[in-house]
Amino acid sequence: MHDMRESVICQEARHAMPASDPAVIVKNVTKRYAGITAVDDLSFEVRRGEIFGLLGPNGAGKTTTIRMILDIIRPSAGEITVLGGPMGESTKARIGYLPEERGLYDDMTLLDTLVFLAQLKGLDRRTATARAEELLREVELWEERRRKIQALSRGMNQKAQFVAATLHNPELIIIDEPFSGLDPVNTRLIKHLLYRLRDKGAAIVMSTHQMYQVEEMCQRILLIDHGRDVLHGEVGEVRRRFSEHAVEVNLTGEIDSVPGVERIQSHNGGYRLLLEPGIDPSDVLKSLVDLPGLRVDRFEQVQMSLDEIFVRVVGHAQEQEPA
Amino acid sequence: MNKLLLMARATYRRRVFSSSFLLLTLGMPAVMIVAAAVPILQASRSSTPRLGYVDLSHQLSPVSSVEVDGKSLAVETFDNPESARRAVESGELDGYLLLPANFREGNDAQYFGLESPSGTVSRAMREVVRQALLPDVSPGVLARLEDPTNVTLESAKDGTRLGSGAGLVIWVGLPVALGILFGLAVVTGAAQMGSAVVREKDQRAMEIVLTSMSPLQLVSGKVLGMTALSLTQLGVWGLGGGLALGVALVGRVDFSGVLIPWPALIWAALLGVPGYFLYATAAAGLGIIAGDSQQGQQLAGMLGFFSMFPLAFLGIVVEHPDGPLAVALTLFPLTAPMFGMVRMALTQVPIWELAGALASVLLSLIFGLWAVSRVFRAAMLIYGQSLRPRAILGALMGR
Repeated sequence: MHDMRESVICQEARHAMPASDPAVIVKNVTKRYAGITAVDDLSFEVRRGEIFGLLGPNGAGKTTTIRMILDIIRPSAGEITVLGGPMGESTKARIGYLPEERGLYDDMTLLDTLVFLAQLKGLDRRTATARAEELLREVELWEERRRKIQALSRGMNQKAQFVAATLHNPELIIIDEPFSGLDPVNTRLIKHLLYRLRDKGAAIVMSTHQMYQVEEMCQRILLIDHGRDVLHGEVGEVRRRFSEHAVEVNLTGEIDSVPGVERIQSHNGGYRLLLEPGIDPSDVLKSLVDLPGLRVDRFEQVQMSLDEIFVRVVGHAQEQEPA
Repeated sequence: MNKLLLMARATYRRRVFSSSFLLLTLGMPAVMIVAAAVPILQASRSSTPRLGYVDLSHQLSPVSSVEVDGKSLAVETFDNPESARRAVESGELDGYLLLPANFREGNDAQYFGLESPSGTVSRAMREVVRQALLPDVSPGVLARLEDPTNVTLESAKDGTRLGSGAGLVIWVGLPVALGILFGLAVVTGAAQMGSAVVREKDQRAMEIVLTSMSPLQLVSGKVLGMTALSLTQLGVWGLGGGLALGVALVGRVDFSGVLIPWPALIWAALLGVPGYFLYATAAAGLGIIAGDSQQGQQLAGMLGFFSMFPLAFLGIVVEHPDGPLAVALTLFPLTAPMFGMVRMALTQVPIWELAGALASVLLSLIFGLWAVSRVFRAAMLIYGQSLRPRAILGALMGR
């Protein structure tokens, strides 16, 4: 069953995963309908073996972008390459999708639904049944396999949808708000399964508003607003880009002044030191260590959380919008 | 298995075992069979009716017994109504027939009884009057007078024998019945396709399925499944109706010389199945255009009405089966199945017209499937709203 140690190992392993051919290439894609430009000249890539965060406020164009990748709708302009080529029948069998608006056939039993959807992905009935049974046991839905979808709770339904999206071992998985409706235990379970798929080489596109999940799980992110790319890059690099020129420290002892520090503020039982321009944080650390009668318990460069970055970028973009 | 067939099978299986489908499909023929069997059971259990009559005209021949349903029935003659009434009141008779003085001139006869006359009593009364009016005419001549057009029809064009008696009824009636049944099938089955599509759109299941198959495969699979479902229903209804008809008519109607109208049946299948597909495709398209299930049901209702509306022209077509309206309705794709079947019963429809009808249905079906699959993509952009005509046109133009 679910082993949390494995989850930790997976998180470490992803940083060592080499970059490979992109699973998805979106190139200058635009989608217009009903007088609206839902996606505006968007370009990005999703690599195999990574979890890619597709972020944005409501109505930013995330779902439209996902639907274009999945060939549910066609772009007005631009080009999309999925798993090495344009979308075709064989490509569809290698993709798994968990939409934000959950939907399965209410009047079918859980097992029948999963087998049917897996058969549509090209699995034969016997293999589909075996895989469905295996995964249902893993997500603790085995006892519910004969129940109709409409009789399942929200959390069960969510797990069932996840199983439906991953039953056929897809190479590209697109998941929209995968943890909504799940308790912490089931959230960990789904994360564990996602890490396992990623470690097998699957590319995972995750769209969510839960920024702490993005920080924990994603290697790279794309933040879109009004259909446009407003922020794009490695999670760590993006956070560093938005870091303040300041450090937070916890000390044993008192300080009045530190060389290279412009201002000292009390902060959460410690201090926030605002550095002078051009001063390297490591020089400040050295100065602190050299101060007599002082012990440095914690030293950390101040970085904004993704949540704060999201609010700042999207808020700024909205301020720039013409009234 | 092919994705299209997988979708068709899933669509079929999801509904064929639903309680509403089973109730409607099995319930209707069960009611028909019971309705046909009850009078027969009642007749078999009831005792031989005791009947009398009073001839106030004194111009009719006396009748002592009549043949009804293969049995001889004694009939008692009374001189006046009072004595007949006393016999009824005392329970000696079930009822009596009072033939008035100017009965032969057209005045109505009257029946007096403790209960309404049964079917057997009614037939016995008719027999009494026939024998009383025409005592010297043989039963064969009487039968001929009753059914003077019981003839064998033969085509002057190619000598095709069209049947006689009950056979002629079947020859003409079966294609007409199939035509009307087609309309009913559209109302009960194809039009429901629209509601089913709206429901699936609401459930968002469609979005997942579309990541595995094309909109064309999805629409075609659903239409195929719904058609199979409707054929199952019609098959059960047909069997039930046939059984009910058999129960009701066996022993009463001479089925000798019955000819099955195979050409009409073959054309009915050739036009009916793709015709049904066409309506189901149109219903799916309306379901996709609809914003919610309520609007979907309204549009499905409109389609059902449209499928039955051509029946308004049935009278004209029966009167002039080779007229321009009849030909036009045969060639128009949405009315081709119904009027093709009806006209096959009434006239020798030229083969080019039937081929033209088939071609128009098939071409419309291909266009319909293509158009609906195009509109599908546009509809996926806007949940909960109906598609505007401009958006539909844009989708069809590939914009």
